[in-house]
Amino acid sequence: MKTQVVPAPVPDSAAATPGTFQSLSAAERLARRGLRGLLALQAVRTVLRLGFAATAAMAAGRLVMGETVDPWLVAGMIGMLATACLAGFAAERVQASAENAVSTRLRALAGERLGKMPARQLQSLSTGALIVSMQRHPESIAALVVGHRAATAMMAAGPLLAAIALCFVSWQAALLVICLTPVMILFFALVGNAIRRRADAQERAFGRLAGQFADRVRTLPTILANHATASEEAKLGRRLEGYAGETIGLLRIAFANAGIIDFFASLSIAILAIFLGLGHLKLATIPGFSNLELWQSLFILMIAPEYFAPFRRFSEQYHAKAEGLAAAAALDRLLDAAPVTACPLPVLDRLRLTLPAHGLVAIVGPSGSGKSTLLRRLAGLEPGAMPAPGTRLLAAEEIAWVSTDAYVPEGTLAEAISWNGGALDRSRLEHAARAIGLLDDALLPGGLDARLDKGGANLSGGQRLRIAVARAQLSGRTVLADEPTAKLDRATAEAVRRMLIGISGARLVVVATHDRDLAAAADLVVDLTRDDTVEVAA
Amino acid sequence: MSTAFQSSSRKSWRLATGFASTALACAILLGGVSAWLLGSVAIAGLSAAAVTFNFHTPAAFIRLFAVGRTAARYGERLTGHKAALADQISRRVELFAAMAAAPAVRRAGWQLGDDSRLADYLDDVEDLDFARLRAGLPALTLACGLAVLVAGSAVLAPLSLLPIIILLLAILFAGNRVARAGAMAWRETRSLRRGGASRLGAAIASAVPLKAEGAWNRECTEALAALSRADGAQLALRRLQAMLDMVAAALGPVAGVSVMAAAWYAGTQGTELLAPVLLAFSWLALGETMNGASRMLVAVLRRNAARAEIGQWTRGTATGRREFALDDIRPGQLLHGGLQRRAPDGRSIGTPISLLLARGQPTLLVGASGSGKTSLLKQIAGWIGDDAFATDDRILSAGERRALVSLVLHDAVVLEDTVRANLFAGDAPDAVLWRALEAVEMDGRIRDAGGLDSWVRQDRFSLGEAQRINLARAWLSSRPVVLLDEPTEHLDEAQGERILERLLARFSYRIVVVSTHRAPPLRDVRTIELQP
Repeated sequence: MKTQVVPAPVPDSAAATPGTFQSLSAAERLARRGLRGLLALQAVRTVLRLGFAATAAMAAGRLVMGETVDPWLVAGMIGMLATACLAGFAAERVQASAENAVSTRLRALAGERLGKMPARQLQSLSTGALIVSMQRHPESIAALVVGHRAATAMMAAGPLLAAIALCFVSWQAALLVICLTPVMILFFALVGNAIRRRADAQERAFGRLAGQFADRVRTLPTILANHATASEEAKLGRRLEGYAGETIGLLRIAFANAGIIDFFASLSIAILAIFLGLGHLKLATIPGFSNLELWQSLFILMIAPEYFAPFRRFSEQYHAKAEGLAAAAALDRLLDAAPVTACPLPVLDRLRLTLPAHGLVAIVGPSGSGKSTLLRRLAGLEPGAMPAPGTRLLAAEEIAWVSTDAYVPEGTLAEAISWNGGALDRSRLEHAARAIGLLDDALLPGGLDARLDKGGANLSGGQRLRIAVARAQLSGRTVLADEPTAKLDRATAEAVRRMLIGISGARLVVVATHDRDLAAAADLVVDLTRDDTVEVAA
Repeated sequence: MSTAFQSSSRKSWRLATGFASTALACAILLGGVSAWLLGSVAIAGLSAAAVTFNFHTPAAFIRLFAVGRTAARYGERLTGHKAALADQISRRVELFAAMAAAPAVRRAGWQLGDDSRLADYLDDVEDLDFARLRAGLPALTLACGLAVLVAGSAVLAPLSLLPIIILLLAILFAGNRVARAGAMAWRETRSLRRGGASRLGAAIASAVPLKAEGAWNRECTEALAALSRADGAQLALRRLQAMLDMVAAALGPVAGVSVMAAAWYAGTQGTELLAPVLLAFSWLALGETMNGASRMLVAVLRRNAARAEIGQWTRGTATGRREFALDDIRPGQLLHGGLQRRAPDGRSIGTPISLLLARGQPTLLVGASGSGKTSLLKQIAGWIGDDAFATDDRILSAGERRALVSLVLHDAVVLEDTVRANLFAGDAPDAVLWRALEAVEMDGRIRDAGGLDSWVRQDRFSLGEAQRINLARAWLSSRPVVLLDEPTEHLDEAQGERILERLLARFSYRIVVVSTHRAPPLRDVRTIELQP
């Protein structure tokens, strides 16, 4: 639920090292212009509202006292009301646009950061967390640096403007509301501390129960497979009840915050109304509250709530602050994750490898000996690893990468095969797809027009790999293949081998493989079996 | 859910409605009566009436309204949240049960196992949980307040109704626009978000190939652009909201001014004007609560969208979702003469096969990735399709088999709970649980983590450890049919074989099927090779 009152840890921006991703300061920079416009509009709106209150009080007071009301006063009142509404409208639109601009640009910045991140590190991130972060966090941060910052600034400016307006009529009344403020802030601090203590205690005792519903939905198939639906349902009910009870206990204090503002706003009206009433009756002579015109009293009565309104608006923004800070911290954590260090493979550092212009090169060796790492180094995907002199760097060339995690866009099989390869005519597509056995696949009905889900969700690793092989054949690029025949049935593996060998007739094909048949067909074998020797045999 | 909770929720809602109306009434009266008091004393102060003026009664009322508004607001917030939380509990428990019965859970790839889908789902559930608090309750009290003040205006200053009603119509018009365009914008936002998220997910899953082929930046940028377009659709909605809010914010002041103007036009003067002053200031006070008008509307549209979305999950749920109780049946064999294998989406795979699964002789399903091993296990388990299998003396339907089978999924996960709860062994004694953990070579790890009652989460375990916890669950299961899907996945070869051998020894008097993509050296097994 959104009524989370646990303050988020404030990221320590001073401790951050240069070159790190600081989403909050980046967002602040992006927000600067929009924020300025927003604040100007909100200030204009506040001034106009105060002006409306003044003129309305004047008109009403004069009417009641039987005095004449200047038509210009009425015109001014209506004009100010209309422009105040328009300024409010403009302010909201500006706020929405500014937040949107910040979130869009922040997301683009994060995207650039992802682009610079090495593939190995990218893979070490939790995919789900990364998606949630990219989707939601820029928006939360934008709400913090625009909406919340504006509310903070207005909390200073709004009451000040209201107090100035009061001064025109009675500086004593202004003094009264100003004097109430520190008392209110004292209460705030007390309540704030109580909330924090209580929230910490709750976090310790009940933090575990916070995500139980989400966790049980996430784990549903496992629960079902273990025949535990009924018991988990009962347990979930108990835990939700326990958590709700605790939450209510916390809210009881948290709502005191809003209660304090309500109390002081109400109290100020009550005190002022009574002082002003006594003054009018001449029952008491309170300086600043006696000998006032009715319109002046009404004016004071109308302005007093305006003095407290910015405080309320600020306290309503509490979640925006907590969420924004948490989002910024999460995004920074994700994009600044410590680089994943590859386990050292001295054998690769000593490797001298001269790759031919075309032909099949097989990298063999047991699991963990560095086959895939070597392949990634050749493609320039391993930062920091200096290629040995004499090693031909393939990163500068156009590469077609073949593996079971090949990228498959949404669309038809034909689109998947021609992806990243420009326009290809259909007969070539069909030929390649047939040769690799994609057209007579029972799990992929419809031939070249078979629908593939987004991200190839309905494809097996073997099918993805075969799409990548067909793509590699049509692309004319240098081919790097990571375990191209593992997890395939015999016939398909044979088709893949045949096609890779075929490609190697005209281009360079480097495969990292366990497959003896494939290695046997290679023109060059790089054997990483033993730590100290690298056998390169033709 | 228990009726006690339902009745407490109903009571809380009644209380919250009472508090909300009281708070609004106090707020309106505080403004109105204060202004009325100032007017009366100002007129009284001109004459000798000042001495006899009963000042203390209205002053006491004003203090009462001030305190009453504060207290009632606090009560409204607290009881409102209490009621919403009570509803939340019962709704979520029901939802959990309904989701558990939904066929989608048993198909391939549980979508809500994915963080971003789950986050969207939880947003929906929350929109549903809090719609009444965010929209229903404030709308109700606001409508009551409006009705009272409109009635008051009709009596005191009938002419003022003209601008008031025009403005109310404008609010309705703007609201209607927001409702219609907003529903569309929200739909668009959701579909763009989902599209962007799945595209980004696909790109991350293929990070190495994409980076090697130099296509990462393009794909990533496009995925993020879709997410930003979703924010753009939200922006359009917020702009519409701003229009509605502007019109709504004008209502209080415009109505107040109109009341005074109409009263003046009707020739009302002096003390007779005090009642219109009271009404005008009441309108101003009501106007303050109109500020959140568009948020209520958005809460409603989000609730509607959430309801539709959540309904998608539970659609097609059979009414009789209780498990069959078949405790006494221990079939010696399961037989199907011509089983048409099916993919999770219902497409048929290959030609029908004949299947004989017998007690005491494990069956090994061997096949390459994508050959349909998991689907066949799920078909045997009764999770997909509605095939009937013959046993010694009867026919077992899919639903009946679900009750008999312990299906050990290869993508099983760890629940955020204690280790004990994660083993799903009811109240089995500790020694039995430890024996199971030893069998899967997890006892040391669990002891280090703090024992059976330590609280665990998925991210504390590696894939191999999670897999072994899953196998411990299988060890502890007493169902007569055990289906193991890739039990040695994520384990190193030797360890996988050791654990599998122990499991097969334990299940020697049950029907066992094991799927695997590499055939382990096991004696006494029947092997079925699956071709896609």
